[in-house]
Amino acid sequence: MNCGNYQNLISAFLDGELDADTWKAVEGHMEACEECSNVFTDFSSILDFCEDSLAVDSEPPNSHALWCRINNIIETEVPEPQEQEVVVSEAAPGFWNSSLNLSAGQIASAVACIAVVSSLVTVIAFQNLASGAEPGSSRDSGRTVFEKVLADLGIGETPVERTERRVKEQRAAIDYWKTKVEARRASWNNETQIVFDRNLSEIDKAVNEYTKLLQEDPQDSISNEMLDSALREKMELLREFSEL
Amino acid sequence: MNRIANTSKNLLKNGSAKVLLLVLSGAFLIALPSAVSAQKSFKKSYPASKNVRLDLVNRTGTVTVEGWERNEIRISASLERPYASIEPSSHSGQIRIDVVKANQGRGEVGDANFTIYVPYGATVDIETRIGNLNVSNVRGVYVRAHITSEGDVTLTNIVASKVTAKNVNGNMFFDGIVRPGGTYVFKSVTGDVNVRIPLESSFRLLATAPTTRNISLGSFSNTSMRLIGNGRRVVGKVGGGSATLTVENLRGTISFLRR
Repeated sequence: MNCGNYQNLISAFLDGELDADTWKAVEGHMEACEECSNVFTDFSSILDFCEDSLAVDSEPPNSHALWCRINNIIETEVPEPQEQEVVVSEAAPGFWNSSLNLSAGQIASAVACIAVVSSLVTVIAFQNLASGAEPGSSRDSGRTVFEKVLADLGIGETPVERTERRVKEQRAAIDYWKTKVEARRASWNNETQIVFDRNLSEIDKAVNEYTKLLQEDPQDSISNEMLDSALREKMELLREFSEL
Repeated sequence: MNRIANTSKNLLKNGSAKVLLLVLSGAFLIALPSAVSAQKSFKKSYPASKNVRLDLVNRTGTVTVEGWERNEIRISASLERPYASIEPSSHSGQIRIDVVKANQGRGEVGDANFTIYVPYGATVDIETRIGNLNVSNVRGVYVRAHITSEGDVTLTNIVASKVTAKNVNGNMFFDGIVRPGGTYVFKSVTGDVNVRIPLESSFRLLATAPTTRNISLGSFSNTSMRLIGNGRRVVGKVGGGSATLTVENLRGTISFLRR
């Protein structure tokens, strides 16, 4: 058997699925061959990590199939030892040789992760396209694909949560500027006070209107945008009049 | 009647009446110029490059900025209160006047009404807390006119790549050219927003007037325009759509007119 054959057996070796003779042969090769020993170490590290994760999280749907996939990727990625020597001797001391000394197992894990993430993103992007969401539409919440992925995974904020958080922050800022305005207001003349109150009242009408609409339909992105705009107007009015 | 005439003759004959007349005339003559001088005027000119930048922050009053062919900025202002301060600064091709900062802690300083001439190619950035803003014949890169509360924004014959105008309560009128790749943003809370541009303009439009749902596209209506959210918003393209035109009116109307 060559190194490739031994590396194919590593997974079964770690799972205790080999007969005694084969197990001994693999063990002996691992002790003698540094390259295969490194692959073995990487495999066992991944296995340890997965076992640790499994202790906390739920088990992957099909662990055997996952290992088979990783094994297949390694088979395609790891060349025969003889060929590797040729490659090493021909290659100039460059980027791969000097700075990134990655093992086959690490590369395989990275490739597997990239494949899973890109598949997930592609599927979600296609779903979005199929649902016909368009920029500026009343149902388009203005979220990026990344934010949507996070929200779908339960990690990110939903549009309603995001709106609530933003409105809360804006209202806190408004309260701050209100106190500043109250401190300055006495120095304004009567006309300035009347104009300020009139304009604040106009903005409040808009704020109340869009707050009500959002209570009726929290997903309405136009009302969401308009509420955001009205609150920003209010904040700006208060902030700029607090300087007078 | 005879009795009144006789009384007047008697008073004029009397010396004390003459003195009284003299005092009244004197008081009138003193009061007249002091009433006039209660309004302070300010005038100053600066040599300027063709693409000079004017930054003005006003408290209350009307600001009028007009483009002219001279490489010079001329500032004229009338101040309602003589103790109000205007301190223009000229630095690195920029003229800056900040009436708010210059008068902080002075209490109420009244209206400051400005008339400013700038070179045609100037960038104009003006704002006021209360009052009207008028800008005309300006062809610089950027025109910004923001009113914190109420007042009309009138932008006439503007040829700029970036224009933003904003107010809370008052009308807004833009009359100018939409440049390829330009950005134009007009926002109001209430009042009417009117945009007057050439028919051959090329832009992507995002117009939102949710309360009134009154968005009149006039000659710019075409098959690419879509009503969104039951007519609260209009999205579409005019021509190739290289510029971006965003109009938002929270409680008022939006109209497009052909120039």
